[in-house]
Amino acid sequence: MSAPRHPSRTKPGVETKRTLCATCDVSCNVVTEVKKGRVVRVRSSDNPIFRDNICMKGIVAPKAFAHPNRLMHPLKRVGERGSGKWEQVSWDEAMTDIAARLQAIIDRDGPEAWAVSTSQWNTATDHGLGRRLMNHLGSPNWISGVALCAGNTAAINRMTYGWFPFADFPNTNCIVLIGHNPRRNSWVPVYNQIRRAQARGAKLIVLDPRKSSNAELADVWLPLRAGTDTAMLFGWLKVIFDEGLYDKDFVENWTVGFDELRARVDEFPLDRVAKITGCDPEEIRKAARIYATHGPAVIPWTPITDMQRNSTSGIRLQSILRSVCGYVDVPGGEALQGFHPHVIPESKIEAHEMLSEEQKAKQLGSDTHPAFTYRGQAGLLEHTKRVWGYEYTNQVTGCFMANPSATFRAMAGEGRYPVKAFFSLGNNTLLSFANMPLILKGMMNQDLIVVHEQFMTPTAQLADYVLPGDSWLERPWLHDSFGWSSMVRPSQKSMEPLGECESTFSVWKRLATAMGRGDIIPWDTLEDFYDYRLEPSGMSWAEFSESYEIYFGPLEFRKYEKTGFATPSGKVELKSSILEGLGFDPLPYFRDDPPPNPEYPLMMFTGVREDEFFQTGQRHVPELRARKPEPNLFVSPGTAKAQGIAEGDWAEVINPTGSAAMQVLVKDAMPDGLVRIPHGWWKPEMKQGAGHLSGALAHADAQLCPDDEDFLDREQGVPHLKGIPCRIERLDAPPEGAQ
Amino acid sequence: MKRFLEDTKARIVQWLGQRASRDINFVDRLCRRLLDRVLRLPPENDFLRDEWVDSDVGFDPDELDRYQRGETE
Repeated sequence: MSAPRHPSRTKPGVETKRTLCATCDVSCNVVTEVKKGRVVRVRSSDNPIFRDNICMKGIVAPKAFAHPNRLMHPLKRVGERGSGKWEQVSWDEAMTDIAARLQAIIDRDGPEAWAVSTSQWNTATDHGLGRRLMNHLGSPNWISGVALCAGNTAAINRMTYGWFPFADFPNTNCIVLIGHNPRRNSWVPVYNQIRRAQARGAKLIVLDPRKSSNAELADVWLPLRAGTDTAMLFGWLKVIFDEGLYDKDFVENWTVGFDELRARVDEFPLDRVAKITGCDPEEIRKAARIYATHGPAVIPWTPITDMQRNSTSGIRLQSILRSVCGYVDVPGGEALQGFHPHVIPESKIEAHEMLSEEQKAKQLGSDTHPAFTYRGQAGLLEHTKRVWGYEYTNQVTGCFMANPSATFRAMAGEGRYPVKAFFSLGNNTLLSFANMPLILKGMMNQDLIVVHEQFMTPTAQLADYVLPGDSWLERPWLHDSFGWSSMVRPSQKSMEPLGECESTFSVWKRLATAMGRGDIIPWDTLEDFYDYRLEPSGMSWAEFSESYEIYFGPLEFRKYEKTGFATPSGKVELKSSILEGLGFDPLPYFRDDPPPNPEYPLMMFTGVREDEFFQTGQRHVPELRARKPEPNLFVSPGTAKAQGIAEGDWAEVINPTGSAAMQVLVKDAMPDGLVRIPHGWWKPEMKQGAGHLSGALAHADAQLCPDDEDFLDREQGVPHLKGIPCRIERLDAPPEGAQ
Repeated sequence: MKRFLEDTKARIVQWLGQRASRDINFVDRLCRRLLDRVLRLPPENDFLRDEWVDSDVGFDPDELDRYQRGETE
């Protein structure tokens, strides 16, 4: 057990730790090298199954977290909100005051007046403890970026077959990427898995308006119009049904609603699909045939379909395609793994049963867009318990959330009831959801804002308290795949936290204690907490983290043959009884764009991450900014010419929601009429505080993302980020702060 | 029979991965070598090779200390 793990690479004076990089949401297994008590190098794992799963963001992490502007101590606002005036306080002083002010708001307006925004991907050591505290105290208003990125996909997949499946890349024969473009520095393990699969002969189908790097290597590339995934998938089903390419035994024995679905699919002949998507009918037919006949195939999760006005239908159609072709819970297909039986899942930690039905009913957005709220998921509870052992199965942390837009409206004083206390942890909220002007208004209307962060983000600049967050180099981590699969991985602590930085676990524990409810989080340290979660395995955290890099649950396929699916019918619901019960169309459907507005003749899509950055982070890292110093908008040569702009020009992208300045890049890979803009831009070097927000008011894409009903998915209320009308105006001079 | 073979193959792949990740005894290391051979791709398959990633950059602890204190190079 104590033998050197990788003797061939051990160097004198250098200690190595096996670590999970938490700079982005993929959590690559890497090795950290520690000298003089600090991490000096992050390198690729020696384990062949994790080799080369590393990118520039992970490599530069030692320097990124040693940045002189890193938040090191708790700060209390002393001037007006957003004035930029702070005083350093102790953790105890901060938490005592925060607890008292939060309790006063709860006493006055009810616990539902407290909202929290976080992303477990970013905070990593939250482990559902935030929700646990909220559930005990009575607030249902937890929101997260997973509302439009994986969490919502999980909630919708569960409506079809009761679980969010995980693609089995090592055994698959065909991969379908829907707008997804894993690269050498972005979603790296997926990129490597695709290359390995292709090297052994697997087919690759790419649906993407751009000729992306994966599209260049694909067997079929479908350059569909942005935001038309749903229509395209109807086209695939039309081909598969008409040509009898589906798995008839599975459909007959394990699905409900086939005839109704087929009638709906018949409304989408290929000439209609071709007209909507802009793709050649023969190419659509070819792709559908490959998917259906070269299986087992996978459609890996993609954030693209998560962010459209037809998201629910698009995600449902993906899950329906997997099902009717017989690719669910088979080797090389989409595995329904359940929780690891030897590790207590976050779903149990979250203690949803502690929140009363009365408080659940108050969850913001559950009346209008309920799909991933308590109300939307209620019909699955008993069936989930029957198959997966836990009533409140919260996969990818995205089931049982409040709706973000409804929450921001309540914060702004436009909701069913007021929200007056807002906590943001590892989540640059202001830039991370649609309609930034509304979020800003909501934040300025709060009585208490607490932010737990590593740097002074635009969101932190508006807080009452800013609490310094630790980094993934400075804490241990038990990674349970967020309930997505049964793989569990340990990450060893590599170095002591800098300054007074503390983990999210610590924040929740301190708050619970300060509110006189220390019993809710009874574990003293993260290690104690992990010992508790690992109790069923018979291992302590120390033993586990020394023994394993990955700890698989038992591998069993077609479990539904024993248990049925975790749906009301026990079968795959091609026609969803849950959606029908909520008053929605139980079958997938397609909503077209609203009528064109001549003032905004171009279409814009956003939400795509650049290789150098993850979400709104890393703009402070000199090495990464040198590679990508400015936010770039991408247009085709034809569009550039028509708009009178050229490469290197500065231009403003404008629509009724707002505007943002970007530097123009002209790309042959872009189709005419489409503008691609990057997600999450602000410039840490620019002036802080209200009215400036470090360049966020000049560059953030969230200023351009509407959240009115034409641009929200009906069932989930997620924003449409793939096809927003806009126009471009050339700027005569670069904006302030341009490099 | 096809179903049995596919399931067995997938189980073997997972078993190999788990043993390789332990890297404690002889069997673990044998699994690691086998996987290393099977999973290693020729460089040309990594068509987005990146100089930054390939160069395996590291830092000096004193350099990081100076950087943290705001001392410019």
